[in-house]
Amino acid sequence: MPRDMQAEDLAQAGDEVLLARYAAGDPAAARVLTQRLVPRALGYAARLLGDGAEAEDVAQEAMLRLWRAAPGWRAGEAQVSTWLYRVVTNLCTDRMRARTRRRAAALDDAPDVPDGARGAEAGMIEADRMAALQAALDALPERQRQAVVLRHIEGLGNPEIAAVMDIGVEAVESLTARGKRALAALLAGQRGELGYEDDGD
Amino acid sequence: MRMTGTEAMQDRDDLDNLFAAARASRPVPSEALMARVLADALAEQPRPAVAVAPVVVVPRLVPRLGLWSRLAAVFGGPGALAGIGSAAAAGLFIGYVQPSGLSVLGDAVLGTPLETVELMPDVDGLLAGE
Repeated sequence: MPRDMQAEDLAQAGDEVLLARYAAGDPAAARVLTQRLVPRALGYAARLLGDGAEAEDVAQEAMLRLWRAAPGWRAGEAQVSTWLYRVVTNLCTDRMRARTRRRAAALDDAPDVPDGARGAEAGMIEADRMAALQAALDALPERQRQAVVLRHIEGLGNPEIAAVMDIGVEAVESLTARGKRALAALLAGQRGELGYEDDGD
Repeated sequence: MRMTGTEAMQDRDDLDNLFAAARASRPVPSEALMARVLADALAEQPRPAVAVAPVVVVPRLVPRLGLWSRLAAVFGGPGALAGIGSAAAAGLFIGYVQPSGLSVLGDAVLGTPLETVELMPDVDGLLAGE
């Protein structure tokens, strides 16, 4: 690898190459990795947590751990993105548990599960549909939510999801199938609110 | 309520449409977040190996000074110490031997024999006044 990579070479380089360049002291590699990975970490965390501000904190913390892991990164051991998804998953799990503890401590103050687009009318805007999806995702068991988001929103393959969640591929298939069924059931009651009132039946 | 096959299929379609919309509307990181992450990256980044002269600790070539050397230094060096030593030895010698020439010289300088010189005459005066 040439010592001075051009910007376009960096943009096309794999995550692992960039991480090695970062560890070797190349600030341009840090920039490309940030642009490439932060949107993914943020998007995934936002779907798991349903809270943009918390998702930002998680994304920053996950990236910080990546920077710190860079000097000791062993080539070929794990994909950088898989590693990052796993860290985000764990950080979100910690936050969800802390949230549950807080709610248990102050049950009366616990907010209702958001109902997304309640009260909206036909022709509702996209944001309402997304809010309804998020509300349904929030209602899923944690592992199902992780699997469904990784599979259907982040677009990962089952083997990579298995690596992120540290489970077998069959378990991933089971989680995504059950999660999807549960989502469909949750959303069925909101079909009208989701803008499908006049479709089909 | 049991869903018909058509309803189930429609639910799946709805869900797939929702997933597609969710993929298209992934949250965009704020500039502030990107700046924070990049600042973390630069703060944590290992420094590249730079060609700087290594700091070499030079071993002490001058041996540690002994007791006499340090004592000599206190008095202004070995020469001064030798002078002081010689004067002390000469004083002791003169005190014991009391050469006759020295008595004559002392009488001539002091006007009285050396033995009778009053080093603290005021004390004698005070005693005599009692």
